[in-house]
Amino acid sequence: MNSPHRLGLEGAALADKALRLRRHVVRMVAPIAEGYVGQGLGAADILAALYFNEMAFDPENTAWEGRDRFILSPAHYGVGLFAALAERGALPVQELAQYGVDGSPLEIIASERLPGVEATCGSLGMGLSVGVGMALTLRRRGSASRVYVLIGDGEMQEGETWEAVMCAAAFKLGNVCAIVDINDMQVDGSTKSVMDMGDIAAKWRAFGWNTITVDGHDLDALLAAFAAARAHVEGPTVLLADTIPGRGVTALEGRKSHFMKLPPDIAAQALAELEG
Amino acid sequence: MTVRAPITIANSGAVWRPGTAVESKAYGRALLALAEADPRIVCLGADLTGPTETDLFRDTLPDRFFNIGIAEANLMCVASGMARSGDIPVVNTFGVFATRRSFDQVVLQIAYPRANVKLVGFMPGLTSPGGPTHQATDDVALMRSLPGMVVVEPACGMHVAPLLAQLIAHDGPAYMRIKRGDLPKLFTPDSLPPLGKAQVVRPGRDGWIIASGVMVTLALEALDALAEQGIEAGLVNVTSIKPLDTALIASLAAEGKPLLVAENHSIIGGLGSAVAELIAESGLSLRFARLGIDDVFAEGAGAPYLFRTYGLSPAAIAQRFAGLAGRS
Repeated sequence: MNSPHRLGLEGAALADKALRLRRHVVRMVAPIAEGYVGQGLGAADILAALYFNEMAFDPENTAWEGRDRFILSPAHYGVGLFAALAERGALPVQELAQYGVDGSPLEIIASERLPGVEATCGSLGMGLSVGVGMALTLRRRGSASRVYVLIGDGEMQEGETWEAVMCAAAFKLGNVCAIVDINDMQVDGSTKSVMDMGDIAAKWRAFGWNTITVDGHDLDALLAAFAAARAHVEGPTVLLADTIPGRGVTALEGRKSHFMKLPPDIAAQALAELEG
Repeated sequence: MTVRAPITIANSGAVWRPGTAVESKAYGRALLALAEADPRIVCLGADLTGPTETDLFRDTLPDRFFNIGIAEANLMCVASGMARSGDIPVVNTFGVFATRRSFDQVVLQIAYPRANVKLVGFMPGLTSPGGPTHQATDDVALMRSLPGMVVVEPACGMHVAPLLAQLIAHDGPAYMRIKRGDLPKLFTPDSLPPLGKAQVVRPGRDGWIIASGVMVTLALEALDALAEQGIEAGLVNVTSIKPLDTALIASLAAEGKPLLVAENHSIIGGLGSAVAELIAESGLSLRFARLGIDDVFAEGAGAPYLFRTYGLSPAAIAQRFAGLAGRS
């Protein structure tokens, strides 16, 4: 909690960071005119809360051993992670213009070719398992570092997710915090329409996780949930974060599209709104 | 009764006779010894502790033993996470589960990041009585295709400890396929070449048999049968399938004599394919064959039956080589 590399921003300062992340996301996707803009905007508040308040992170040394780990299991959201890394100072903001450019390490599906990306996920279901492994080693070495893993709600359809959920609870990994981005969206439509997973909170609880339902756009609520997760040392915590794809841009908000069109007029309108 | 002359093992001072002594649980003891000297080594498994000889590790170093349950996808990613945090995870399961069951996880979380994870897959090829569910007949093909993945198989119980030490010393991912239970004592421990080098077991006048794993013992038997026909075949033991000793194999191929690869694996994608690729691109012309499981699924049965039925017996090796040498 007292790490020199933990920013602890709150209130208007943190909200401003979330807004900045959204601007980066729109600017990065605009030249391509389509992409994971819905997810990037939707997860911006979660990423802001993690990188600008909750997590210990040294932008000068992304491999710093004392850092908290963040794993982006749906690596399609890389646009949001890159925005957070740049805004946090781990890469120059102008580098974001290289997003999706041939030869750039800022790949559309985030790869650990870019320092600061902890693991190359996006083949869904793996991120939480990798986080469990990190947490086991960190714990056995007496490290205070924590492991945060963002997973998608559609990703819960992958069996490996539940292997990891079972494992983290069995090993009582109090240093693990999962965040499920519940945006009710996957490639073929709403998550409920593709494969209704029923009572998600009941499932996580049944597997032994400290389960917190939170508004994924309420920064105060997110910070409180992360604090509660940190206080729960007996085992892992999951934040079931309800989010809205495209959040913060009127023209995109609530549109359910895995790979959303972002034509120039909408991009300009979005930036005007975010910069307003 | 015919008394057969012992076969001298080149550069090792050791000899081999039929019915040679065996080494039990060489792997389990070697892993524990290495772990006692290196606190970074952790042992992971998926409910196959006894069958992978890791019960000794579990009982001696319980704090460093992690049973992940019957969940191989999770197993591989957990190992990756531990390696990314500075440990050296040794992952123990059956070869089928270490490769085809969890291949995407191995590719993306172990091979791609070059995670320092050692995968150990027991019951290669037809050494399992369990049929296609338990017979790793395609594991070498899968793992050999991964950039940066080291692929090895010991032929000899005495090579297990030094081979495992080589894998631990190598900073990067590796896959070892290894027969469960007893392994023959063929060679001295110090006869194991470094990774990327093969072992000339016996020089040959009439060509070469290149073998790996359990096929080395069967090839030694075949040498006897061939000698009775006046054919002196040489034998090379390939422990390091990837990286392959391309210099040695190229030099053998350059002799222009018959060359037979014998492997306990599909003829597609394994050692035979690796050697064939090398020969095909070398521009050399020679008589060459791959002896292995001939692009079929096997069945559940005992090893002697399976090795006979699927053409992996000493007699089959001898017959195939004699055919290549024009003596069949």
